[in-house]
Amino acid sequence: MLVLTRRVGDSVVIDGRIRVVVLRVEGDSLRLGIDAPSEISVHRQEVYDEIQRTNRQAVAPRQAAIPKLPLNKPSNRRPKSEICGLE
Amino acid sequence: MATTLLEAKAETNTAPRSTTPPVSNVIQFPSGLLGFEQLKKFALVGRTQEAPFLWMDGPEDSRISFIVVPPRQLVPDYQPDLADEDVKFLGLKSPNDALVLTIVTISGPRRATINLKGPLVINARTRIGKQVVPVNADDYSSEYLLPVSK
Repeated sequence: MLVLTRRVGDSVVIDGRIRVVVLRVEGDSLRLGIDAPSEISVHRQEVYDEIQRTNRQAVAPRQAAIPKLPLNKPSNRRPKSEICGLE
Repeated sequence: MATTLLEAKAETNTAPRSTTPPVSNVIQFPSGLLGFEQLKKFALVGRTQEAPFLWMDGPEDSRISFIVVPPRQLVPDYQPDLADEDVKFLGLKSPNDALVLTIVTISGPRRATINLKGPLVINARTRIGKQVVPVNADDYSSEYLLPVSK
């Protein structure tokens, strides 16, 4: 592992296109800013691990029985928008 | 638009699962799924009797399939907040272009969960998708328990 010392405001450049900036240090917390092209995925390690594990558990044999849901009451409530990041 | 994609599939996909799905159902995932980064193409297959669930079949040689379901009816207050980078990546111009699906984990005859922390967002116009981690992912479970009939 490459180890570098950086101060607040300093940054590192990875592969000429990813920039990681040290924004703030508070106690044992470090706030980072990451500039990367949109095709580069950046995740917190523990969230990545959790979703990766969940994905692996979800792999289904092609003839798996799909559960029956008690969906008797059709929902009339339509959320105004499914994704709020777009407004 | 998103509903149209689903409805079209439910109606046209009465053929056996072994047949090649129509091209229009193929979704490109340029980044793959988390842990399955190498799988960049999935066929979304829906059959009326399995609604609201859909199959998302990976490339034939991968032998990997997922069961997915739109979370809208199951979790009415689910509002994944997309990062700007993901909106840009998917080329989403309007929320109506986005089809949101969640991956189902079946862990027993009476137990199924959906992953609200890592939803699949598909641009229904371009058929490009991504498994995103919404900005508000901490508010949601990766194992949200579904009500299953006895």
